[in-house]
Amino acid sequence: MQKNTIMNGMKASLPIMVSYIALGIACGIVLFDAGFSLAAIFWMSLLIYAGAAQFLAASMVTLGASFPSIILMVFFLNLRHVLMSASLSSYVKDKSFGFIGLFSHLMSDESFGINYSRFRDGSWTADEALVTSVSNYSTWVISTVIGGAIGSQFPINTVIMNYALIAMFLCMMVQQFVSKAHLLAGVAAVIATVVLRLVLQHNIALVFATIIASFIGYFLESYTDINKKGSRTNG
Amino acid sequence: MGNYYGLIIGMAVVTYFPRFLPMLLLSKKEISPSFSKWMSYIPVSIFASLVASDVFFWENDFNLYPAVNLKLIPTLLVLVVAMKTRSLLWSMLTGIVSMTVLWYVL
Repeated sequence: MQKNTIMNGMKASLPIMVSYIALGIACGIVLFDAGFSLAAIFWMSLLIYAGAAQFLAASMVTLGASFPSIILMVFFLNLRHVLMSASLSSYVKDKSFGFIGLFSHLMSDESFGINYSRFRDGSWTADEALVTSVSNYSTWVISTVIGGAIGSQFPINTVIMNYALIAMFLCMMVQQFVSKAHLLAGVAAVIATVVLRLVLQHNIALVFATIIASFIGYFLESYTDINKKGSRTNG
Repeated sequence: MGNYYGLIIGMAVVTYFPRFLPMLLLSKKEISPSFSKWMSYIPVSIFASLVASDVFFWENDFNLYPAVNLKLIPTLLVLVVAMKTRSLLWSMLTGIVSMTVLWYVL
């Protein structure tokens, strides 16, 4: 790989590295707080490398959820990667199986965003994309372990730390409000979760509420004109 | 205390396949529009569900009194900040600061 390729890839990764350091440290702290050892945090970031899924695991472990229900939620959460991954496929067509195997593992939301927009501009090579992804990935792994080490050294108020996690999910939820139907799906999820949790007295309520709310959003978009602007005036 | 490696391996498997298989086998055009439409509603539902299963409960009981359930007021503040900035860091800071103030003042 040429020096230029490495420089270009690293440069593209810089802004993401900054946010990964901050979020990675926060993620390491909450994971340690949830009972994950430093080694477990390291392997988790290395093998899973999905911030939202790792935050979700910390939260659900703290809630006392079973492992299968956590894995199921992570599966649903990661379905969004299907479309991203397919969108990148045409740019790595001539690459080896091993390259695709590694490059796809490194496809976080942020790595996808930066690489896809550059690929579309036509000024980006698969090797540069891999350098950017590796650089984001190593930053995340190191930052989460540092976060875990910080969490292990300082006594941290668990109520407050747990709430930091909720603040994070609140913002991730708001970032998903891209249409009225998405907002209503969020409202439906809130209602369904509270009702199901009170009825079932079990954390599987999260899984059911997610499935119900995602279908409500889908049906709202498909069978009402909620997302169409000006539909009333146009008849 | 707990052994989390089973959880980590399970999570790794369900994370890897949605990333790997489409890149290897599919292009964007081959994914059905209804499937991708449905998929777009999953993250918002998950995050809303995670929030709701936490903030409306205090010591495991459903509780809507802001003076008892300290999470309610910070939630409103974080919502406002998140809507305005869409920034994870600002939202987290707002949550941590407002929760800290309430926790040590009340």
